[in-house]
Amino acid sequence: MSDKELLEKLKKIVTPYVQDKEGLENFDETTDFINDLQINSANLVDVVLDVEDEFDIEIDNDSMKDMLSVLDAKNIIQFKLAGK
Amino acid sequence: MIGNDIVDFKTAALQSNWQRRGFLKKLFSENEQSLIINSEFPERGLWLLWAMKEATYKAHQRRFKLPRSFNPKQFNCEIFSLENTSVLGKVQNQDFSYHTQTYIGEDYLHCIASQVQQKEITQKILTHSKDIKQELILAVSALKNLPKAKISLKKDCNFIPYLISDETSINCDFSLSHHGNFSAFVLSLTRC
Repeated sequence: MSDKELLEKLKKIVTPYVQDKEGLENFDETTDFINDLQINSANLVDVVLDVEDEFDIEIDNDSMKDMLSVLDAKNIIQFKLAGK
Repeated sequence: MIGNDIVDFKTAALQSNWQRRGFLKKLFSENEQSLIINSEFPERGLWLLWAMKEATYKAHQRRFKLPRSFNPKQFNCEIFSLENTSVLGKVQNQDFSYHTQTYIGEDYLHCIASQVQQKEITQKILTHSKDIKQELILAVSALKNLPKAKISLKKDCNFIPYLISDETSINCDFSLSHHGNFSAFVLSLTRC
């Protein structure tokens, strides 16, 4: 999967939880889930669950604790996909 | 150090589907899950334990100036007493434990976590339209005898908020929280 495809999928996943929709306009690797998108901390778990479903991977607690930005999420997803 | 967290019940019901598969399992230990499922109002029980973890996370992060992380399962909740609107508990994070005190109202709950059981805390809870940051600045201005116009709120490299006055950071222990229609601050009176 290309980076572009992965980012598109990720953008689709986070969109329902985004409280600052302007943050979505510049969605790229530098986008921070909390600071840029204002995703509520309780919704971070929904992002993790949706990522698990979409990519058919399991995000353990160790990985989940770092999933706070698009870049973090991309790295974790790619790492998990490579290990499948 | 202190931390706090506020949960707007209406907003929480709109934002989170806590019954979705995996939701409780990712956030709570088996003990905590059974506390939630067996409580009279599971949804309130869930947000109570969640707020205890969040408030403790904030106190702990500020105490050790830690980078952000999302690891709710590292925080283990215990409930000591449950009265009408007040819940006392403890949250253990590895070797560190924090006292928690939670007020449960009709529309929201508010939890304060602190390293030591301290009574010298001032707090304010506002509805969304009001500016909680300004209220905090007013409280700190009165406490430290500093002109309020000179105080401003910043965030450090770990996104932990702090206050400065005349480009000098103010040594004070506080925590801000916001959810839905409610926002809150807590401010320790002893450390300031």
